[in-house]
Amino acid sequence: MKARFLKAAAALAVGAMLATTSLTPALADTLKFVSWQKDEKGVGDWWASVIAEFEKRHPEHKIEWTKVERAAYADTMTTLFAGGNPPDIVHLASFEFHSFADNGWLEDLTPWIEKSGLNLDGWSGQKACNWQGEIVCIMMLYYGAIFAYNEEMLASEGVAVPTNWDEFLAAARKLTKDTNGDGIPDQYGTGHETKGGAGQYLAEMASYLLDAGASYTNAEGEVTIDTPEMVEGLQRWKTVISENLSPRDLTAGDIRKLFADGRIAMRVDGPWLYAIMEQGAAKDKLKLAKVPFDPPLGGSSNVLAMPSEIDEERKELVWDFISIATSDEFQSSFAKLAASTPPSPRADVSAAKAEIPHFDLLVEAQQAANAAGVDRIPVGLEIPFNEFSKMVQEESQRMIIEDLDPAEVAKRMQEKAVALQ
Amino acid sequence: MRRGKLIDLARPSRQHWLGYILLAPAVILVAAIIVYPLIISIDLSFQDVKLPRMGAPRKPFTLENYQKLFSSPEFWQTCWVTLKLVVVVTIACLAVGLGTALLVNNRFRGRRLARLAVALPWAVPEVIATVIFAWIFDSSFGLMGWIFIKLGLANQMVAWFSDTTAAFWVVATTMVWKGYPFVSIMTLAGLQSIPEDFYNAAKVDGANAFQRLRWITIPSLMPVLGVTMVLVTLWVFRDFSIIKVLTDGGPLKATQTLSIMTYNEAFGFFKFGYASAVGVITLLLCVVASMAMLGRGSKAMY
Repeated sequence: MKARFLKAAAALAVGAMLATTSLTPALADTLKFVSWQKDEKGVGDWWASVIAEFEKRHPEHKIEWTKVERAAYADTMTTLFAGGNPPDIVHLASFEFHSFADNGWLEDLTPWIEKSGLNLDGWSGQKACNWQGEIVCIMMLYYGAIFAYNEEMLASEGVAVPTNWDEFLAAARKLTKDTNGDGIPDQYGTGHETKGGAGQYLAEMASYLLDAGASYTNAEGEVTIDTPEMVEGLQRWKTVISENLSPRDLTAGDIRKLFADGRIAMRVDGPWLYAIMEQGAAKDKLKLAKVPFDPPLGGSSNVLAMPSEIDEERKELVWDFISIATSDEFQSSFAKLAASTPPSPRADVSAAKAEIPHFDLLVEAQQAANAAGVDRIPVGLEIPFNEFSKMVQEESQRMIIEDLDPAEVAKRMQEKAVALQ
Repeated sequence: MRRGKLIDLARPSRQHWLGYILLAPAVILVAAIIVYPLIISIDLSFQDVKLPRMGAPRKPFTLENYQKLFSSPEFWQTCWVTLKLVVVVTIACLAVGLGTALLVNNRFRGRRLARLAVALPWAVPEVIATVIFAWIFDSSFGLMGWIFIKLGLANQMVAWFSDTTAAFWVVATTMVWKGYPFVSIMTLAGLQSIPEDFYNAAKVDGANAFQRLRWITIPSLMPVLGVTMVLVTLWVFRDFSIIKVLTDGGPLKATQTLSIMTYNEAFGFFKFGYASAVGVITLLLCVVASMAMLGRGSKAMY
């Protein structure tokens, strides 16, 4: 009996040893990369090209690329980090990395940047990656907003392409109408997400606020909401939503689709709108122009980072991956493949310009937003940004639902934002 | 030989061992996936933790999360919304579920089809049902807004998700649609176990249909209805996906239940200690509610 037990135990031990030995090299050779952009046309292809290049340079290493939906991304990354099993290559949205950095989960990239000589001068949006004296990430996209409109709708109402807020509002009012006579509006002047994430809600409001000269905080991070400019900006947002110049309670995805299909006349959005326009029923009628707001909305989008707890050998490999993604060659190919503005000032965008007719417009918008220091994440509110954006969303909704005076709302927002800080 | 006797489970004095051995895998699994996280959660609720880390040193004991929670108007509003939703959805589910069960318990042509139709919402995945309702109640292009206008109940499209009252009723309606088939199926099983003799005797005594329902059907169904009510109540308490997809707790937290608040505090605002405190309070409320409902009211009357 004892002998049989010992035999079984020995067999188990040998089996376990063999299994472990055969697994160990595979695990060591694989870098984990989690991203929400895997299946996105254009930018997903670009990531694939970066991975292919990495695997070409490091034939003994593979990258395990996993897609996690954007809606579940923060939850998944939090769980991975909290469980001590972070991905090797960390891809995060620019509004969520601060909490990870604040917890000490992201490596200070300063020594890696110095060692490799990566020049980040003029790198759009890179300032946002500086966190408590450390560079915790590399900005992968900083965009400027573009203005898209339905040329046929504007022409049929004799409306010129708006160039400022007053013209925009007049056009939106004229273009919102009931086209089939059933008493229900089925064409809208503009479109905004008013249902869904608070971060997107803030982005939707931002153009009106920026154009009115408002900002949530100043360069020193002090809250500056209770100002006449913010009151004016909130009034504009209230006007657009209360007058039903935009369909209500839809997500940004729904709004983009409605615009692409010819149910919405004007839309301010990021460069990604173009890919959706190209697939819409009204694609031949849709045109792009400079946004009628000054400065244009701009923002950091997503970052690459490195977990602080992985071993040195892995860190070297992750840095090689980052080096490839930030190289002049791949920054240039980013412009063409992703049809978007690369953050690197050294990227050669001539191929993108030749292929994408509106590329100059994208560059111009990005540069204007960058020069004005515009970002979606207010300075000094990075850590409680999710809570802050939720607060702004709720107070703005309250303003519209209860028909409140924007001055009163701005005052309450100011108090709550200061308390959050 | 002596060792063989030690593991002789056939001996009357050791027969209960077999039960324990057979139960062990399930108990270990439950302990691993329910009890252990529960203990971690309770422990986290007494610490000031933003983002937790497995294996990290424990932070000092504090009651701050609970103090903050009980002094937060948001928490009490959330409790009120949860209570309203639990009461409205549970009562509506019981009423619709019992009604449909009584209907399909009768003999009529197409009864099989009717039973299938009654149970159908139960088979539809929750998220899909929610997306369908989101489109039905769409504020700009939805079917319900169009019906309201055509019936003269509204003169323009109703902004269902921009109005606190309307949003609450949209969530409640969706939950009732998704939840009533469970009551219906349970009640139907209960109805079929009531002896026909009871009804025959009542008919001989001259009882009408309502009296038979009041004095035979309902009392006989009480054990089934009691357990069903507890299960429906717990489902409404913990349901997440319907509210998350439809309203995300908005507008102005009008549909924010304790489960949504727990999620938002943890994964939205990265306050895991505080979120754990909300979770612990939710658990306690569920236990109290279950104990109250599984009391005298759920016992058979005959």
